[in-house]
Amino acid sequence: MNKVAIKTETVLQMKGISKAFPGVQALRQVDLTVLPGEIHGLVGKNGAGKTTLMAVLMGLQEPNEGTIQIDSTEYTSMNPTEALDAGIAYVPQHVAMMDSLTVAENILAGDLPKTKFGLVDWKKVNDEAQKRLDMLNLKLDVTKKVEGLEVAEQTMLAIAKALFGDAKLIILDEPTAPLSRAEINRLFAFVKSLKEKGASFIYISHHLEEVFEICDRVTVLRDGRVVGTENVKDIDIPKLIVMMVGEDVEDYSRESSCTDEVVFVLENLARRGYYEDINLEVKKGEVVGITGLQGCGSEQLGKGLFGLEYRGVGNVKIHGEEFIAKEPIDSFNQGLAYLPQDRYRYGLVGVRPVKENVTYPILDRLVRLINLVNRSEEKKIVDEYIEGLEIVTPNQDQPVRLLSGGNQQKVVFAKLATTRPAVLIIHEPTQGVDVRAKMDIFRIIDEMASQGVAIIVISSEIRELIGICDRILVMNNGRITEEFEKGDKATTPENILDAIEGGNNKHG
Amino acid sequence: MQLKEETTSMVKNNKNNDWIKLLLDNFIWIIVVAVFAFFSFQMPERFFTLPNFVNVLLHASVLGVLVIGQAIVLLTGNFDLSAEGVLSLTTILAMWLMAEPRTDAGGAQASGWMLHPFIVIPIMFMVGILSGWIIGMFITRLKMNGFIVTLAMQLVLRGIALIISEGQIMTGSPALFNWLGGTRIRGFPVSVGVTLLMYLVVNYLLNQSKFGRNLRAVGANRDAARASGFDPNKTITRAYMISGFLGAFAGWMLLGRLETSISSLGEGMTLETVAASVIGGVSLKGGLGSVGGAFAGVMLLSIIDNALNLMDVDPFWVQAVRGFIILLALLIEAQKFRYKPKVVHEKDERIAAVELESKA
Repeated sequence: MNKVAIKTETVLQMKGISKAFPGVQALRQVDLTVLPGEIHGLVGKNGAGKTTLMAVLMGLQEPNEGTIQIDSTEYTSMNPTEALDAGIAYVPQHVAMMDSLTVAENILAGDLPKTKFGLVDWKKVNDEAQKRLDMLNLKLDVTKKVEGLEVAEQTMLAIAKALFGDAKLIILDEPTAPLSRAEINRLFAFVKSLKEKGASFIYISHHLEEVFEICDRVTVLRDGRVVGTENVKDIDIPKLIVMMVGEDVEDYSRESSCTDEVVFVLENLARRGYYEDINLEVKKGEVVGITGLQGCGSEQLGKGLFGLEYRGVGNVKIHGEEFIAKEPIDSFNQGLAYLPQDRYRYGLVGVRPVKENVTYPILDRLVRLINLVNRSEEKKIVDEYIEGLEIVTPNQDQPVRLLSGGNQQKVVFAKLATTRPAVLIIHEPTQGVDVRAKMDIFRIIDEMASQGVAIIVISSEIRELIGICDRILVMNNGRITEEFEKGDKATTPENILDAIEGGNNKHG
Repeated sequence: MQLKEETTSMVKNNKNNDWIKLLLDNFIWIIVVAVFAFFSFQMPERFFTLPNFVNVLLHASVLGVLVIGQAIVLLTGNFDLSAEGVLSLTTILAMWLMAEPRTDAGGAQASGWMLHPFIVIPIMFMVGILSGWIIGMFITRLKMNGFIVTLAMQLVLRGIALIISEGQIMTGSPALFNWLGGTRIRGFPVSVGVTLLMYLVVNYLLNQSKFGRNLRAVGANRDAARASGFDPNKTITRAYMISGFLGAFAGWMLLGRLETSISSLGEGMTLETVAASVIGGVSLKGGLGSVGGAFAGVMLLSIIDNALNLMDVDPFWVQAVRGFIILLALLIEAQKFRYKPKVVHEKDERIAAVELESKA
C-alpha cells in the first residue's frame, strides 16, 4: 500500500487510471470524482470499462497508471482489504448475506453481544440492531431471516450494513434489475434519505431513466475512456445516449445478400425464465441482428439453439427439416454453427495449435483408417482458411492463445466455416477485438452471408448491427418486442437504444 | 502492409527458435542420458553392462505400462489413482481362478477351477475395463471428484483382493500364463519388447489420431471441446477404461514374472506413475504432453532405482534420495519454460474481466 495524506473536499478522486489486459486497453486515463452526499451515476455500454473501473476501485485489479484518493488519503495501489478499510463498499445486484440468519445477526455478525456466561445475549442483539436501523429510518423486522426479506429489502440491508461499517462510498451495481417498480421506489427513497445524511454513492445502471431519477451527476464511459461528466440537470436522455454510443465510430456497411428462400425457422420457442414466444424466420443470405439488455434472453437463445444449454419448448427447422440439438455435435451435423461470446471458455482450446482448433469439428471428414488424421489434407484446409481469413500466425502449429484477440476470433470463425453451416449464430463477434480486426470480421460475416448462410448476430453493439444486418430485432424480458429494417429511416442507434430501454420500462 | 511485416518478422523469429524448441521439447531425454552417463562413469563395472541395462528396462516395463494409462488420463485433465488396485485385484483374481488347490494347511485357497490362462487373461482385462468404466460414470455422470473416486476405487479393488487371498501369498501360476512376463528370447525379456512396442504404437496413435486430438482438447478446455463437437464425458470415461485395461495388462506382466501374487502387490506405484508422467512433460492441467515423453520419465525413475540399488545405498536412505532426485529433475524441467516464447496468460485475466463484466 502506498498512501499519502492530502487535504480535500471530495470523497473519491480517481486520476488518470489506465488498465490494460493482454490485447485490450480496458481503461485509458480515466478520471472520476465523487463529492460528499452525492449520488454519482456511471453509465456506458457493456465493455465500456465500468466494471474494470470499479474493480480497480475495490482493489480487485491493480491499475497500470493513475492514483486513487479516498477522503484525504492517496493510493497508487490497493488490495481489497485496504479498499474496504478505506470505506469503499460494494453492493451487487444479488446481495450475498447469511440468508438463514436473522437481520439482527447479519447486522452484528462477528460482534454479537454476550451474556456473562459467554452465550449470545439475543435480547441485546435484537435491541442493538433495531437501534441501528432506526438511525437510518430503515423499517425491517430484525428477527426475520434474511432469506425471508424482499430483494429490495436485502439490498437496503446491505447498504445499511455497509454504513454501519463506516463506508464512505457505496457502489450500487445495477440494483434495480430484479425489482418491481414499487420496490424501486422504496429503495430510491432510502438511498435519497441516506444521501441527505451525507452518504455518497456510485450508481451503475443500464436504465437511463433511473439515472435521471436518482443521480446528481453522471459520468459516461466509452471504450475505456471518460466521454464526459455532466450534471444531470443539464442534459437529457437523447444526449446521454449519444455520449454512450458515440458518433466518431467508423461505420461499416454492406450490400444485402438476402434471398427469398427461408432457411431457418423458429416457432413459438420458449424456455421458462429466459425467453418466450420467439417466432423468427431467417432467409438464405440474410443477416438478422438481435439486441437487448443483458439478461434479455438472447444469450440463452443462442446457447439453447446450439445445444450448449436446454432449449425449451417449440419447433426449430432448418430447410424445412426438424432441427433438434442435444449437444453441439448434433448442431454441426444438422448445419448449425455457433460463435460463443466467451471465446476463451467455449471458443478455443488455448494451449493447442491453430491447426487443431480449426479442424476439431470436421475430424470425421479428415480421418482415414483407424481414425488417423490425414495430415496433408488437414494442412491444405487450414492453409486455405489462414489465407482466406487473413489470420496472422507464424505457422499452423502456434498455440492459439499466443495470437491476438482478433486473430483468435478469426480462428473460431474458420472452425465454424469448415463445417459449412446453413445457419450461423454469432454472439458478440467483435468483443475484445481491435478496430482493424473488427473490419475483417464484418467482411467475413458479409462473405459467409453472400455464400448463402443464414446468419443471426446477437450483439449489444448497435452501430455494428446497423452496419451488417438486414433486420434488427430488439428483445426485452425474453420477448421480441420491436423490429428495425435495414435502410428504414427509423433505424437509428437512438431509436434502437430507446426500444431497448423503453421496452424494459413497460415491463418494469 | 504492416500486417505483412508483422507476419514475416514473427516467422523469422520462429525459425531461429526452431532448434531451441526442439531441444527444450526433448529436454527430459537429455537429463536421462546425463544421469545414465553419470552412473556409467561412477560404476562402469556394475552399472554399464548389458545385463544391467536389461534389468533397467525390465524394471521399466510394468511401470511403463501403467504410465501409459496414467498419461492418457492426465491428458484429459484427470487423475487415475486406481491402477495399482486393478493390478493387485487382477493378479489375485487370476491366481484364484487358475492356480492348483493347495494341499498344505494355511495359505489362501484357490477356487479349484483351474481355468485355462486363455480364459483368465480376458477376464483380467474385463475387470480392468469395468473398473475404468465405473470410475468414468462416477466422474462424468454423478459429477464426483476424480481424485477421491479413483482413490476409493483403489481401496475397493485392493480390498477385494485382500478378501479373496485372505491376505496370503498366492503362488504357482501356469507356464502358459507366465509367457509374457517371464520369457526371454536370446536373453531379452519379452515383456520389455512388448512394452517398447506399446509405447511406439500408442505414441504414434495419440499424436496422429482423432482420439488423441479429442483427449487433449477435452483436457485443455472441456467446455470448448464440447462446443467443438467432442463428447467430454465419453472421452474421459474411455480414458479411464484404457487405463483400467493397462492396469490389468501390467498385472498379467508382473504376475508372469513373479509367478506369485499378494494383495499388496504394486503398492505405491500410483505415485510413481504420476511422477514419471509429469517428469516426462505431461501437464497435470491436461491437454499437453505425450506418452513418448512420459516414457523418458519412466526411464529416469528406473535408472535411479537401479543405480541406488547397485550403489548399496542404505535402504533407509533410498526413499529420500529418490524423492530428491525426482524433485531435481522436475526443477530442471520447469526451468525450460523460462526460455519458451513468452506466453501471454490471456485466458485467466480475460476470463476474470469477462466474468466481472457479465456481473455488471
